[in-house]
Amino acid sequence: MLKKIFLPTILVFLAYGFWISPDFKEISAGVAIFLFGMLSLEEGFKVFSGGTLEKILKKSTNKLYKSIGFGAVVTSIMQSSSLVSVLTISFLGAGLIGLSQGIGIIFGANIGTTTGAWLVAGLGLKVKISAYAMPMLVFGVILIFQKSKSVKGIGYILTGLGFLFLGIHYMKDGFEAFKSTIDLSSFAVSGFKGLIIYAGIGVFATVVMQSSHATLVLIITALSVGQITYENALALAIGANVGTTITAIIGSMSSNIDGKRLAAAHLIFNSVTGFIAILFIHQLIVVVDFTSNVIGIANDDYSLKLAVFHTIFNLIGVLVMIPFVDKLVIFLENTIKTKDLKKKDSYDSVRYFNESALAFPETSLVAIVKESKHLYENAFEIIAHGLNLKKSNIVSSMNIDDVIKEEYSNEIVDIDECYNRKIKGIYGEIIDFSTKAQSKMPPYYIEELYKLKHANRDIVEAVKDTKHLQKNLIKYSASSNSYIKKEYDFIKAGLAELLRNINIIATTDEEDVLLLVLSKSKVHIEKYDLIANGKLDELIRNNLVSNEMATSLMNDSAYAYDISKNLISMAETIFVDARSDMKELKQDMKISEDEIDSLLNKRKDL
Amino acid sequence: MKVKKFINRVKDFLGLDDFEKANKKKSVKNLLHKLKVRRKQLSKFLKKQSQKKRRKEIQEELDIVSLQIKKGRVILKKLNS
Repeated sequence: MLKKIFLPTILVFLAYGFWISPDFKEISAGVAIFLFGMLSLEEGFKVFSGGTLEKILKKSTNKLYKSIGFGAVVTSIMQSSSLVSVLTISFLGAGLIGLSQGIGIIFGANIGTTTGAWLVAGLGLKVKISAYAMPMLVFGVILIFQKSKSVKGIGYILTGLGFLFLGIHYMKDGFEAFKSTIDLSSFAVSGFKGLIIYAGIGVFATVVMQSSHATLVLIITALSVGQITYENALALAIGANVGTTITAIIGSMSSNIDGKRLAAAHLIFNSVTGFIAILFIHQLIVVVDFTSNVIGIANDDYSLKLAVFHTIFNLIGVLVMIPFVDKLVIFLENTIKTKDLKKKDSYDSVRYFNESALAFPETSLVAIVKESKHLYENAFEIIAHGLNLKKSNIVSSMNIDDVIKEEYSNEIVDIDECYNRKIKGIYGEIIDFSTKAQSKMPPYYIEELYKLKHANRDIVEAVKDTKHLQKNLIKYSASSNSYIKKEYDFIKAGLAELLRNINIIATTDEEDVLLLVLSKSKVHIEKYDLIANGKLDELIRNNLVSNEMATSLMNDSAYAYDISKNLISMAETIFVDARSDMKELKQDMKISEDEIDSLLNKRKDL
Repeated sequence: MKVKKFINRVKDFLGLDDFEKANKKKSVKNLLHKLKVRRKQLSKFLKKQSQKKRRKEIQEELDIVSLQIKKGRVILKKLNS
């Protein structure tokens, strides 16, 4: 309800403002142009972020101090903490970084965003930057219309900067004209009350504009022409810092649980920092005065002093919060939980997807690999339980003959029901996400994506084939005919061994073990070819099994063969190819069909 | 000049192809070493093992490892030539 009336109210308020004051219109237009410039700047950086930025991010966030440094540097360069927070949420969602690293980047972004105040206060108001705006816009727009993606990106960045400069110019002009009609400084409220009121206004303005940068520019320009007092400007800056968390909160709405936790961490961090700043405002003013004197800022240059204040209070916030990062992570993990954890048997859903990751090809691919592994985990459970085997026994070092003897349950597991709960939804989401990601990917990523889609289809096929196999497997495993029982136990043991091998492939760090297990699995699936190895002929010729049993065995061996083939192919894609060190090596060391045949013949001779 | 051509020229200039080759050589050598150690271990196990089924399994692993050592040597030879 509140959401529905919020936008119309703002529009009506603005329209009324434009009607009664042309200066207010100029200031608002300045803000709008500034925000549009930021959007354009973000668009430009996104062009360059595919791949390179992601690689740098992966390497630069393994330690907290590195995450903070990365957040600060990237935000300073991009001049947009919102792009950095959205990027961080997408990385978190894809599982590339942990929550603590994500928090580190947000801390850094808070420091990096202070450079904006320095730029506006130091450069924007002293130099006539609007003079640069027009050429930038002209060159920028020309470049936007070019075919090359990188040239287009540069065009967006130039246009973005042009609009930022133009926006600042309009805001400045608006405030100067405004001053001659209404003196906003007469509304100044002194003392603690004024601090709270103006901090609240700062929060509100930033929530409306969804940019602390825009609010800060507005504060600095208003301060530079004397429309607000220095103390009130400080309170507004504190409020803007709290209000800026709205971008991450909105961004996290479409993200997974970690994205939501990160947005909460951002809110907690900025609120605590704001609270500290309000509590120690007088001491902070003294520190700002002292620092300004040291670096040679004039006593009456309040715009630059505001930039100093903004930097100091964000730095203090980071320093105060660093020792509590781990505790903050634990607190967030305990308070913001996934619905799935609360409801154990509910429908399983994706863990690593969020819309913001789609803009970054490499992140999208990593998210799909992770989600495919999640899908396999579920498939492993269904296949194991469907064959009436215990998962824990399969992954243990227990003898395979003993693994198949120990049953999972007295009741038959309903594979259809498990498929609907644990496979169907996730598989659908993976295909949907892959299709969306594909449209934003350069060609060299698409081949990888295609393989991943295949791997997921292999998982689904394996589960479906297990369902077909299950009925006879349960029936003949308990048969009084020892010959048919032996054959079905053989199938069961083979599949149990395959699941164990895939678990080894997924977890080992040793290349030789990986290659050995992969090759062994490929050799073993050939044993399901009952016609080629003469087993079926022998059973029928000697009247050891009935015709019905023989037909079932032939069909079920084919199912076991398909399950194995699909799972091996899936494992090669999501567990081997996903490791950059193994992909090429695996390709070179791959054993051919002929070599498999010769190994099988050797085995027969033994 | 096309971007790809430019990248190839820079690669040639900096000798990055040789760098890639050296890296690959290193990883194949490393793998070969591990495979040889494994072959030695498996041969030892085979000698000690008396159970027929287990002997068959070890022999199969031994054959696969030997095949991969052979493949590794061929790759290394190619990289050296």
